[in-house]
Amino acid sequence: MLTESNCIFKKNENGFLLAEIDGKQASRVKIVCTQPLTRPYEYVSVMSMDDEEYGIIENVSDFDGEQRRLIEEDIRQRYFCPVISEISSIKDKMGNFYFDVVINGRKKNFLVRDLTKNIRQYSNSIMIIDTDGNRYMIDDINAVPKKSRRKLQPYLY
Amino acid sequence: MPPSVPMFGKKRKNGVFPKHILSALEKCGLKTENLIYSAVTDMNDNGEFCDTFICFDDKGLYVANGNVDVPSKKGAEPFVTVDKIESFPIDAIDEGYIEKFVSTARLVYKKSEEEFPLIRFSYACLEDMDAFVYAFNSFKNGVPVEEIKAEKENGEEDNPFEKKKRRDRGIVFRLLAFYKKYILIVLVVTVAIGAGAVFQLLVPQVGTRALFDKIISNPNHLSQLDLVKSLGILVAEIFFLKLFKVILDSGHQFLMASITPKVVYDIKIRIFTAMQKQSVSFYTSKQTGFLMQRVTGDARHIYWFLINDLPDIIVNVLMVAGIFVIMFNMSWKLSLLVLTIIPILIAVIKGSEKMFHRLHHAHWATNSNVSSIVSDNINGQRVIKAFCKENFESKRFRKASEELRKAEVKLAKREATIFPLFQAVVHIVSTVIFAWGSILAVKGEISIGSVLSFIVYVEMIQQPINFLSGVVNRWARCMDSATRMFEIMDAQPQITEKENAVSMENMAGSIDLSELEFEYEPARPILKNLNLHVEAGEMLGIVGKTGAGKTTIASLIARLYDPKRGSVKIDGVDVCDIKLHEIHTNVGMVSQDIFLFMGSIADNIRYAKPDATMDEVISAAKAAAAHEFIMKLPDAYETRVGSGGRDLSGGERQRISIARTIIQNPKILILDEATAAMDTQTEARIQQSISKLKDGRTTIAIAHRLSTLREADHLAVIENGEIVEYGTYNELLTQQGQFYTLYKIQNKALNAIGIGE
Repeated sequence: MLTESNCIFKKNENGFLLAEIDGKQASRVKIVCTQPLTRPYEYVSVMSMDDEEYGIIENVSDFDGEQRRLIEEDIRQRYFCPVISEISSIKDKMGNFYFDVVINGRKKNFLVRDLTKNIRQYSNSIMIIDTDGNRYMIDDINAVPKKSRRKLQPYLY
Repeated sequence: MPPSVPMFGKKRKNGVFPKHILSALEKCGLKTENLIYSAVTDMNDNGEFCDTFICFDDKGLYVANGNVDVPSKKGAEPFVTVDKIESFPIDAIDEGYIEKFVSTARLVYKKSEEEFPLIRFSYACLEDMDAFVYAFNSFKNGVPVEEIKAEKENGEEDNPFEKKKRRDRGIVFRLLAFYKKYILIVLVVTVAIGAGAVFQLLVPQVGTRALFDKIISNPNHLSQLDLVKSLGILVAEIFFLKLFKVILDSGHQFLMASITPKVVYDIKIRIFTAMQKQSVSFYTSKQTGFLMQRVTGDARHIYWFLINDLPDIIVNVLMVAGIFVIMFNMSWKLSLLVLTIIPILIAVIKGSEKMFHRLHHAHWATNSNVSSIVSDNINGQRVIKAFCKENFESKRFRKASEELRKAEVKLAKREATIFPLFQAVVHIVSTVIFAWGSILAVKGEISIGSVLSFIVYVEMIQQPINFLSGVVNRWARCMDSATRMFEIMDAQPQITEKENAVSMENMAGSIDLSELEFEYEPARPILKNLNLHVEAGEMLGIVGKTGAGKTTIASLIARLYDPKRGSVKIDGVDVCDIKLHEIHTNVGMVSQDIFLFMGSIADNIRYAKPDATMDEVISAAKAAAAHEFIMKLPDAYETRVGSGGRDLSGGERQRISIARTIIQNPKILILDEATAAMDTQTEARIQQSISKLKDGRTTIAIAHRLSTLREADHLAVIENGEIVEYGTYNELLTQQGQFYTLYKIQNKALNAIGIGE
């Protein structure tokens, strides 16, 4: 297990995350979640850029202040998904589902096929994966406008 | 809300920017005439969607954030804004690479050992950026600009998979096109349906109206005999009209029943053939349950709709049209009143059609999920039992069934509430007509017979309207099924044969892999610039860790996939230029995934050569060390295997699959971990067979157990998609490199269990 006592994170001047583990010289690392969808900050793996695992952090909250911020920032960057705030329309054309949505106040459209595979529900949050592999999140289905919810509802199963 | 960014989600062309972007960049001071390569990406550093322009020339690499706004007016020039251009001198960058995250990626450039993040983009731009990075690195490696531009032009060629635009004809017309073959019968059916509708429409005119206006209204003008005669004629007319209708209805039903199964058969064959043409990747991305549902369940929905509902739709539409013609003929005032219900009904039908389409989709998906769980459970019974997970699986099934039940209940409830609504509308209109018609009759504007027959027509119109409202539901289900089936038919296979593909009947079997690059997903290379030559008749052993790219090499030689860059040549001819049939008959593959088809063992061995004699089958089984165990089975070569057949062990199944390849007698034999599932004794026997088998053919053997590769003429050690060592068995041992390390580790492990060398 990696803890504050054997692992120190810092950022280099180009913005990459480095880690000094067991007193060894700091090198570039990446933080990979074991449960990215439900518990992104628990049991996270610290890996080299060649996917060699240095160790696991049981809970990111075990790290304090700046250290914790650096870990969380890397997780947010790696697992970043645009958040859909509104669904304007979902058009079904021959099994191709054209989504018109609003993200960060801007309109965005994308294409989804095979809805059963590419619309996933985790409790109240919903992940939509388009044909390019881009992921979009609806953090809380109950928080989006009722009209948007009604448009998506038939495809949630 | 800011205007939409129209390029979102669309594939952008690499190479040179379009004119409107070039002029916007020029306005910001960038000299664009010498640009070598460019791309547009879709995100800024904060992960917000916007347009980012990236390009390079021989002096520098340039990046600018901006926005392309395409006006809604057709033909209008897009409006481009560019915030600020950042320049990086070309000498300040050694190379670039793409770092992938979960849903986004970034371009990182290197100078000496230092790395710098450059731009961020979504996966929609991954392919374009991959090409951009390749072009940039090629330029840095001294590849002439002309070559990079030529590569770019090749890249811009129409992708053969997307070349054929989706036929956007309506689903209905596509479905009806299947009846084209039976056009004569369809014409007869249509005429019969039309005539039947006319006969039915005439009944109130000939019956009710004539009875009231000619007989009941004038009883004093007719003698007793004439009355009986008139009534007799009336009854006879009604009888014959009804009789003709019944005969015509039976006739068209009989004819439809004779052609619709043929149409559904054609549809099934088309789907199945379309599925067969698909590449391996198509099957790995779809669940078996869903595909099975499409071939069987969807076809069944379409069958019942076409055989039961389609003729009735024609009948009822004709009925509604005919009733209105007669009604207008009798009283335009009353007819206009009836007409008012049409827009209401259309609105309700349209609304319910959309709703039912979605409800059916949900029903179909939950039903498929239940089927997949059942299929998973049947196939995975051994594992379920071994882990004592029966209760867990029951709960999983119960949960999925519960979802299905909910979808069914939702559907049934909607059906139960929507249909009475249609009837209510018709009843209200019918009552109003009755009242108004009576007033008109009292005023003398219309005869009593006409009012009564009008009411009969209003009552008659209920039946087709009820039917049409009910059929919306089945129509939606049929359209839903047809949509999914056409999706398979329209899917373009990734591996296609060129029009002028060459035939190579006498393959010698030399293989050349040249600068081979491959990836299953963009920016995650599996093979990197791999070069390899195998002489005809030679045996090459490929060694490497799991995931190193060994099986991918085999798949590329057999053309199950096409390389991203570079080429695979057999006897000097690119496999992409050889007829697919020639490749698949000349390249035999025994893979680690063993599959036996439903049928006897002999059928399975004969799979590649159906006309093989029993003598050939036995020889192949003997060569694969399978004959001995087959003869111990009660039905020997007639033992049924595959789905529902006898359960064979992994080693037995593998031996049958080796025999199947032996009988194919390919010029190139690929053994991909062919003996991995066997015990040492059987493996030794098969090794002997393989030694004989490799005579006269090129053999590529992929193996973890190095001892199985002693016979190989050469060995290649693969790591991370690259060849790190190449030579003979003894040469590699002498080199004391990776192969030697692997050899030592394996030998130690085998010694520990007492079977080491």
